[in-house]
Amino acid sequence: MITQVTLTTQRLEELPGPPATAGPVGAQVEFLGIVRSEENGRPIAALEYEAYQPMAECEIERLLNELGSAHPCHTVQVLHRLGIVPVGEAAIIVRVLAAHRQEAFSLLARFMDRLKQDVPIWKCKAWTREELARRFHPGPFRPS
Amino acid sequence: MRVLFFAHLKDVTGCAHTELDCGEVDADGLWDALLQRYPGLAPYRSTVRLACNARYAGPDTRFGPSDEVALIPPVSGG
Repeated sequence: MITQVTLTTQRLEELPGPPATAGPVGAQVEFLGIVRSEENGRPIAALEYEAYQPMAECEIERLLNELGSAHPCHTVQVLHRLGIVPVGEAAIIVRVLAAHRQEAFSLLARFMDRLKQDVPIWKCKAWTREELARRFHPGPFRPS
Repeated sequence: MRVLFFAHLKDVTGCAHTELDCGEVDADGLWDALLQRYPGLAPYRSTVRLACNARYAGPDTRFGPSDEVALIPPVSGG
């Protein structure tokens, strides 16, 4: 199984997907985990993520290899954003390419469950609009 | 050994990493040394997992002077 794991402060939506594959792939499943406008009942403008990056990358690869044995897929791309992620933008994108949809859906669902148990990535702060404005004023960031 | 702290544990210890000189120890020995320096970590011991050189530690893992140890509080990625 081909795996591509990226942890980055860049907007994930702007990063390229996995290379197009002709032949064995009959299903591509894409999951985007998007920052909601509320965290623990409080309105927010952004979430901030941090990671123990070398270990997070190794754990994601290890999980994918483990899950790939039970749910054989062709390619899995995992993109996780770090730093401040504004509401409405993706914190994680997972794309799974497989011969059939069942394997792709199964691997994706189990991977997300395991990521939330084992991969050392944390939501370290929920930012309000006012906090963000103070932090970045007069910088370029303007929460919408 | 180098010890890394993440998330709220950085606030508890006041730092993101430290050097700990405690020889080669098991998990209990490591916690003894950590709690001596950072007593505020005590309430988190039951929920924090230990990692050694970027892998989760097992029950038999020993932590040596050249290792990079990380305290992993409950994760919340995705």
